[in-house]
Amino acid sequence: MRLFIMAMKLTAQEKKELEKFTKFLILKSAQVIVNSRLGYKISTQCKSASDWFNIAVPDLPEVLADAKKALSDEVALARLPLCVEISLRTTEGDVMVLEQWCLGILPETYEYSGPFIQTVYNRMGVLLKSLVSVTRVTPAYKLSRRQGEDTYVLLYRIYVGEPMLHVLGDGYKVLRVGQLCTPIGTMHLTVSYRTKMTISPTTAGKDNSIMLKSDHFNTNLSPRHVRNKQNEDKNAVNDGMKIGAFACRKREYKPEFILPEVPLSNLLPKRKEENCEENDLINDELEHSKTSTIKDDRNGNSPSESLITSNNTTTTVSTSDDFIMKTPFASRNANTELGMFYREWQSAPPLQTFTHIPTLAEQVQDLAKQLESFESDMNKYDDMLLTLCQSPNNN
Amino acid sequence: MNARSQIFELTMEGRQVDEAVASLFHTILFHRSVGKFTYDGSNYSVGTIGYTDVDCDFIDLTYVCCTSSRLDRTIKKEISCFSELLRGNEGTGMGQISLEFFQKKPSRWLFQSECIPWEVWTVRLELISLSNEDERQVCREKVGEILTDKILYITEVMNRHDYVPKVPNQSELEHIFDTSYHDIQPYLFRLHYSLSGPSSGTSVGSAMKKLIKETLSL
Repeated sequence: MRLFIMAMKLTAQEKKELEKFTKFLILKSAQVIVNSRLGYKISTQCKSASDWFNIAVPDLPEVLADAKKALSDEVALARLPLCVEISLRTTEGDVMVLEQWCLGILPETYEYSGPFIQTVYNRMGVLLKSLVSVTRVTPAYKLSRRQGEDTYVLLYRIYVGEPMLHVLGDGYKVLRVGQLCTPIGTMHLTVSYRTKMTISPTTAGKDNSIMLKSDHFNTNLSPRHVRNKQNEDKNAVNDGMKIGAFACRKREYKPEFILPEVPLSNLLPKRKEENCEENDLINDELEHSKTSTIKDDRNGNSPSESLITSNNTTTTVSTSDDFIMKTPFASRNANTELGMFYREWQSAPPLQTFTHIPTLAEQVQDLAKQLESFESDMNKYDDMLLTLCQSPNNN
Repeated sequence: MNARSQIFELTMEGRQVDEAVASLFHTILFHRSVGKFTYDGSNYSVGTIGYTDVDCDFIDLTYVCCTSSRLDRTIKKEISCFSELLRGNEGTGMGQISLEFFQKKPSRWLFQSECIPWEVWTVRLELISLSNEDERQVCREKVGEILTDKILYITEVMNRHDYVPKVPNQSELEHIFDTSYHDIQPYLFRLHYSLSGPSSGTSVGSAMKKLIKETLSL
């Protein structure tokens, strides 16, 4: 009502001018906002010719068309508030609204005296300059400079109406770029911008709950457990492990492959050799592993060991577990530097006891020495026994 | 008439000083410049101001300035002198630089024309030294955020309904605007700077106060 009264005081010429200024403020503001989000630095030249608000704002035809469409040839003042929305779209198609720039008018008037048109025009120019400065310092500016076809692009939309603030997420901020007093009210330019830059996944499916397995941490189902079980259980091996596409399923064991009675063989992990009759490839591997382990242990007491290795032409870098895989195109020679290295570190170092076995004569001599020392220390043992027996609290 | 005074207090690394001060002063001058006036008899037309985006090297910030190489040179030269003094060995790492807008009062008979400031923007600086790149990165972002707040404050002040000298007749134009630029027409302005010791200014002041108080109590 008050707007109407104040407007009534204006002459037809003044109203027309105010309307024209407002229209161009809307058009130029839209240009400034969209220009600042193009992703590159802007530089316009000074010129002696006059332009709207005496600021050289580059005019993008598309933006001009969109802004004019929003105004729809009606009275510009009647179309306020008018908003420019800046949003981000990722290559995946997710969209996030970043900013809502809004030019509105409040029915606050001031007592003006004299010609106001020039003042309003100048103040609109200052407001537009402020808009140029502020567009460079909101968070979306930095995002706009980093945009690209392979990551994300920024989009704009011009619409008439109150700014849609709910699309900016929680904790959005509002900044007042500036305002100017006119005889019909206070024009204000504000920006509301998003502060939380996390894209929430679009709800494509109805059920977004994460699938949970209740037995996720069940140790009986862990791969290690399964693997151990396979080693023990022949059926598990046959069922669970697949044989390679071109692997030989049947293999005749030569007599040399069958392990002889090895001294201390009971210390080694027991294999179910009796099941080898089926000649399963996996078991074959296990057997090769065993031979290799023995060789590496270097007991030196097995006369047949050299025979095994010399005849074992099919064995490559076989190991005691399935950790090391046979790489395609790799050398078949097991004694390469890498193979040696692996074998050296995959098991405990050999005990000194096995590397240096004393001869019988040495052993006898050693025993005689021990007996001598025991005899000489006999008194000590007797004394100790006595002290133990005489101890008062002997339980 | 008392001049409006705005003071910004900032703490930063030495190498950030030039860009920080330039970003603030250029934003102010962008608002306080108009298009070049061209007179045709009693009528005049106002030219158009171009603007340029400037990326800072040592601060996470982009600011806007008038597209006027001469204005840029004038500003940068003064800021550079101040920065060198501030960062020099003899400096205390503290100082201030001011951008003052003034108008000239027409000279009367024998007296020279008087300069009356109507708006003063002061940047007080304190330098810090950082030890590693992580700290520098944090400082780079932090100073960018602080300057963003200051730029927003500048735009707020510019949109107030405060006093700005009226556009005069052609004969008195030089009393309000600097007409020496061929591309833009800023309000008359000047820069001045000074270094301050840790307590040199205040110690003299407090000593004087003490002296006066003692005199009065007698």
